[in-house]
Amino acid sequence: MPFMIRLDDIIVKFGEFEALHKISVEVNEGEFFTFLGPSGCGKTTTLRTITGFIDPVAGTVNMQGRDITHVPIEKRNIGIVFQSYALFPTMTVYDNIAFGLKIKKMKKPEIAQKVQAIAKKVDLTDEQLKKAVSQLSGGQQQRVAIARALVTEPAIICMDEPLSNLDAKLRVQLRNELKKMQREFGITTIYVTHDQEEALTLSDRIAVFNKGYIEQIGTPNEVYNHSRTEFVANFIGDINRLGEEIVEKMGLPAEKHHFIRLERVRVNRPGDEGALQLPGVIESREYYGLYIKYYIQAAGQAVKVIEKNDGINIYEVGDTVTVGIHPMDIMSYEAQE
Amino acid sequence: MEKRTLPGSGKPGWLNASLLYKVFGGVLFAYLFLGFMVAPCLNTLLSVFREKNPTTGAIEPFRVISYFFSGNMPSFILSSVILAVALVITVNVVGISIVLLTEYFDIKGAKILRLGYMTTLIYSGMALVTGYLFLYGRDGILTQWLRGLFPQFNEKWFGGFYAVLFTMTFACTSNHALFLRNAIRNIDYNTVEAARNLGAHPFRVLMKVVMPTLLPTLFSLTVMTFITGLCAMSAPKLIGYNSINPKIVELAGTTKGEIDFPQAQAALMSIILALFTIILLTILNHYERKGHYLSVSKTKAKLVKQKIQNPVGNVLAHVYAYLLFVIYMLPVVIIILFSFQNYGAVNAKKPSVEAVTTINYYGSEDVEVPREGRKPKIKENAVTGVFTNPKTGDAIRLSFILAASAAALACVIVVAAVNYIFKQKNKKRAVIVEACLLFPWLLPTILICYSYRIFFNNNIWYVFGQNLYTGENVRLLLIIAYTVVKLPFALRMIKASFYAIDEELEDAARNLGASGFRTLLRIKLPIILPSVLAVFALNFNSLFTEYDMGATFFNPNANTYAKVIESMSTPELQNDYNAAGRQCASTVFIMIVSGLILYLVYGVGARDLGERLERRAKRRQRLMRLTGKAKKPSAKAAA
Repeated sequence: MPFMIRLDDIIVKFGEFEALHKISVEVNEGEFFTFLGPSGCGKTTTLRTITGFIDPVAGTVNMQGRDITHVPIEKRNIGIVFQSYALFPTMTVYDNIAFGLKIKKMKKPEIAQKVQAIAKKVDLTDEQLKKAVSQLSGGQQQRVAIARALVTEPAIICMDEPLSNLDAKLRVQLRNELKKMQREFGITTIYVTHDQEEALTLSDRIAVFNKGYIEQIGTPNEVYNHSRTEFVANFIGDINRLGEEIVEKMGLPAEKHHFIRLERVRVNRPGDEGALQLPGVIESREYYGLYIKYYIQAAGQAVKVIEKNDGINIYEVGDTVTVGIHPMDIMSYEAQE
Repeated sequence: MEKRTLPGSGKPGWLNASLLYKVFGGVLFAYLFLGFMVAPCLNTLLSVFREKNPTTGAIEPFRVISYFFSGNMPSFILSSVILAVALVITVNVVGISIVLLTEYFDIKGAKILRLGYMTTLIYSGMALVTGYLFLYGRDGILTQWLRGLFPQFNEKWFGGFYAVLFTMTFACTSNHALFLRNAIRNIDYNTVEAARNLGAHPFRVLMKVVMPTLLPTLFSLTVMTFITGLCAMSAPKLIGYNSINPKIVELAGTTKGEIDFPQAQAALMSIILALFTIILLTILNHYERKGHYLSVSKTKAKLVKQKIQNPVGNVLAHVYAYLLFVIYMLPVVIIILFSFQNYGAVNAKKPSVEAVTTINYYGSEDVEVPREGRKPKIKENAVTGVFTNPKTGDAIRLSFILAASAAALACVIVVAAVNYIFKQKNKKRAVIVEACLLFPWLLPTILICYSYRIFFNNNIWYVFGQNLYTGENVRLLLIIAYTVVKLPFALRMIKASFYAIDEELEDAARNLGASGFRTLLRIKLPIILPSVLAVFALNFNSLFTEYDMGATFFNPNANTYAKVIESMSTPELQNDYNAAGRQCASTVFIMIVSGLILYLVYGVGARDLGERLERRAKRRQRLMRLTGKAKKPSAKAAA
């Protein structure tokens, strides 16, 4: 697949502080690519380097074979949807969307036609186009921001945590719409988020950032089930670090750190072949509705486990259970400390 | 297109296209700052040390200073300090009272009371002082009425320290009415409820919970009041009190001979005033930097008015509130009433229905002047209204043009400067630009004006060898002076409004291809426009009736509106018929202009696009209901 944009050894400095250390990443055409990481990890800085708001100290930004490292922002043909949406409050919805086209000095009828077309695609009515942005709901504002970014027909669209301003339910709803829209438009999308669930559900591929480095690039399944580093394993999803006793019982190398995901720990499944079976006692539980998280005291540590809330495997605090750990499910990393 | 270049990116910046703009901007800024702020004031400062010994002819640097302090000049400074200290107390008492009475306590008729307390926002300075004199002065209505009741009543009762203090106390509560009101409305009511819940008595809540949150605002207001007291001009001058500013103006206009080196003494006095101001503002700045007691709550509850539980206290509070209301409103009502009375009624201070007229505003009338032993003489067109009296009309036009030009100029300069300051955030040059614009804040208006008057009354090379003080040039000088003194206020207000601009908006505009200038014009300016308009309006309002600077310039080509109003309060000197009636009409005219501007800025200008669209839709609906649905009005007609 041809690449749409490629960063090679990008270094960004803010004064003495080096925010990005030789970042290299390649995004393919039509791909939904996510930069994931905790705050301050460099994901937004990388995005702003791509859009041209930041000049890297070293390295190149290459778009379809053309070096755009020092091309001005407005000549890059990269659209952006901001965290705050950055809708112009003194303009109507229509004027917001038309802004970029007016700067391109397009004729009025052409602008009108393009605005109408994009509005239809993102489900904005004619009535809404006449409104002030402050009169729209959060979800509608987001659609305006997307329409404004897409109407100039950019080659890439960048989104900087576009769902972080919304409440939990709307986030999930808009997440699905976003994915649908991206599929329909077929546009290369670079998405920045700190929310691992968002990253896993939306992305074709994910780059996990930490302290200005990329720890891993891969599909959601790769980064979740085959996390390359301890940081990735810990950052994405919940995980158990295995204590000395279990490590010893399983014959794992003691100098490494070993982890197992919660859903891979099996409770009361004696027939599980090859798995280490440990006796345990339910210490406490957290009720989530869809599932229940149990803290089981076993082999001198608290092992976290989740069980589907299906009415079958329900345990009370104090119940005695067996905990099964399969060597196949264990992720091991060289100790960093 | 200016690109945000990060430190360390290592791109050579000295050869790009914007270099020309930068150099031009820098040179222009330096020219304006050095030429119109530093040079004149420095000249004033140096003039103090340049007097020569008349016998030896040698320069004696401390001659003026020692002469100054051995004479009676320090008494003027002392009087001003006494006035300032007294004002701080009275203005705070009245200012806090009016805000608590209208915003915190449950007083019946609070809305009406608030309108009364806010009347000083629409007339101040010379207009207010002449209004008070119209009521309390020697020929004042109240004075005449009291004399009618008690023939021994001293008709000069309203003069000196207490009269100035009384007038200025009520004149200077405008800032309390604006800023303290905002502060009290921002109190989180949950904190009041929490204190009550923990067992605090309402009075204790007021003193321990409410007042501490108001302290930062009160401190700023106190410093501002103190400076206002020190720099008082129109009240002491008209009512009669020996304070600094009127003395400086007097000295500046004195020829040598009458008194030893008057100009140098005036300069020294204005420098002493500047030192006071600098010290006070440094204290204020230091205090403000320490940070404020900001509300920590995420969800603020709206303040609920507190009912005064004690019935006696409640009655007393109401009496006090309405007494203040009467003091605020009496001059306003009397002025409005007499502005519609004819010459005879105004002169006799006896209003009547038959005497109702609009002549004080528009039109003219002949007057019969009685002459002893001879036939009365008819003076044609002796009685004239504000708009028909040529002198008044000219002054209104002049003040309007000067005030509007200076207010607009200050806004343009400050918007451009703040835009630059935000672009160069955290860089030394941004700090320098800001400090330069705040510079006039440290100097009393009188020092700037006095300096201009003396310094530009020469042919100055950098203003093309012109003497800016002579002929009609002085109007330009007045515009510059007006602009300079309004820069700090404009900067503080407009800078605050720039913080409201989301940085991502700028990025979004750049991403969509807008240039820096277009982003300023189309994105940033519309957002800050309400604030810019407010600054323009407030500056215009104060400059339109500005007295101190006009008086300091004391030039027939700069006969401003306030000076004409001043002359109306001493008609006997001017042989001016109907001066009192015209003065009332003038004050009403000022109230209307100021009121209208404040309404446009705070009422209309403060609405955001959403509110405006909603209102337009409502108007359209109403119109459709009125005209029937068949006739669909166009959007333009509805707007």
